[in-house]
Amino acid sequence: MNFKNFINSRWWKVVCVIMLAYTLIMGFLAPVPAKPILHETIRNLYFHVCMWFSMMFIFTVSLVYSIKYLMNPTEENDIIASESANTGLVFGILGLVTGMLWLRYTWGETGHDWWAPDPKLNGALIALLSYFAYVVLRMSIDDEQKKARVAAVYNIFAYVMMIVFVMIYPRLNNVDSLHPGNGGNPGFNQYDLDNHMRMVFYPAVIGWVMLSAWIASLNIRLEKINRYNHNKI
Amino acid sequence: MNQLAAIIQRELRHELRSRRSWLAILLYISSVVYIAYLAFQHDLEPVTWNALFWILTIFISMFAASGSFAGRESEMLYIYTITSPHKFIMARLIYNGMFMLVVSIVAIAIYSLLLGNPVGSGSIFFITVLLAVWGISSLLTMAFAIATKGGGGFALMAIISFPLLVPLLITAQHLSALSMMPDPTNYTGNMASLLAIDALIAALCYLLFPYLWRD
Repeated sequence: MNFKNFINSRWWKVVCVIMLAYTLIMGFLAPVPAKPILHETIRNLYFHVCMWFSMMFIFTVSLVYSIKYLMNPTEENDIIASESANTGLVFGILGLVTGMLWLRYTWGETGHDWWAPDPKLNGALIALLSYFAYVVLRMSIDDEQKKARVAAVYNIFAYVMMIVFVMIYPRLNNVDSLHPGNGGNPGFNQYDLDNHMRMVFYPAVIGWVMLSAWIASLNIRLEKINRYNHNKI
Repeated sequence: MNQLAAIIQRELRHELRSRRSWLAILLYISSVVYIAYLAFQHDLEPVTWNALFWILTIFISMFAASGSFAGRESEMLYIYTITSPHKFIMARLIYNGMFMLVVSIVAIAIYSLLLGNPVGSGSIFFITVLLAVWGISSLLTMAFAIATKGGGGFALMAIISFPLLVPLLITAQHLSALSMMPDPTNYTGNMASLLAIDALIAALCYLLFPYLWRD
């Protein structure tokens, strides 16, 4: 079975729905360890953290197809790259919003109601800014082939600089993240992410990542239809 | 190698000839720094001095880049015929880096004149500026090449380069803050990472520029 048939097949979408239904039910109802500060907000792990996994996954898909486009410029590669980036932005915004809601209740004392000086927040914001710039760049070029090529070049640049930021920033000044599990905060690193939570967290990650692939594949099909109709006229 | 030198020489001659662009950059630096001076009225903490310095550096280099990196479109046809994209981008990176260094030295001079200079360790500060400016100019060269294809000019260049400049800027800012401390330590690691970012940007330019070379 080749890759395309796999994407178009139905069974993994069924798995995705089951996983996410499980995540929703167990995420809200299953017992969670009572940690100071976090309390019940620890359930955000099943949603907020998964958004970032999905975003990085789908941005990586976009990067791979941008590289593929430069090596083999087909319309298909371009559509996959651009629609994956669009889908990634949606997950990035959701990740930011769920995180901002959460930090209001847990880091409220830092003096920032909706924002905090945290490496992960800054990394997320840079990712979003770069990919919004990617969208604007695409909008400002009319010629399809030129648009695809220039956007692919920018995509590679943006992705690499984003990774560089994520690697560099925490090393400066020993800026430690405020996130659970970092800098002595109570959290869910490998020692205290207990087995009950793992039973929900791993399916949640797989489910959300699958959902991002599914949404991206729908966007890709939609864009193909749009272009087909556009060319017919 | 000869080709490289020839392209650089040609760019330099071109730059020196157009007095308008030099004067424009000088005037831009002076007015921006003067506005900062009026806003802060001399009582600057080193931390603020540092933050302001890097913010002004971005704006000044953005302006200088947009004026000077402009590939004179009419001449591009000629350049296509005499050289390869790899040689052209290398020459461009070297030339733009030198150009930006001169611009930032002028900027530092005017900035220090009006707002003072709390830098304690000059050598660390200078190496930081050197590395940062070289990285910024390579990144802007690429951003400019992308923005020109987009037909968006300055605005497009600004939005596509700001997020990408962040890793460079925070590292440089951190290093120059260190240079204001009485006894700076632990700067080699950060300097190495600044150098690594520069090398990475240059490598990306070298690899990706051929795709922007021609329509």
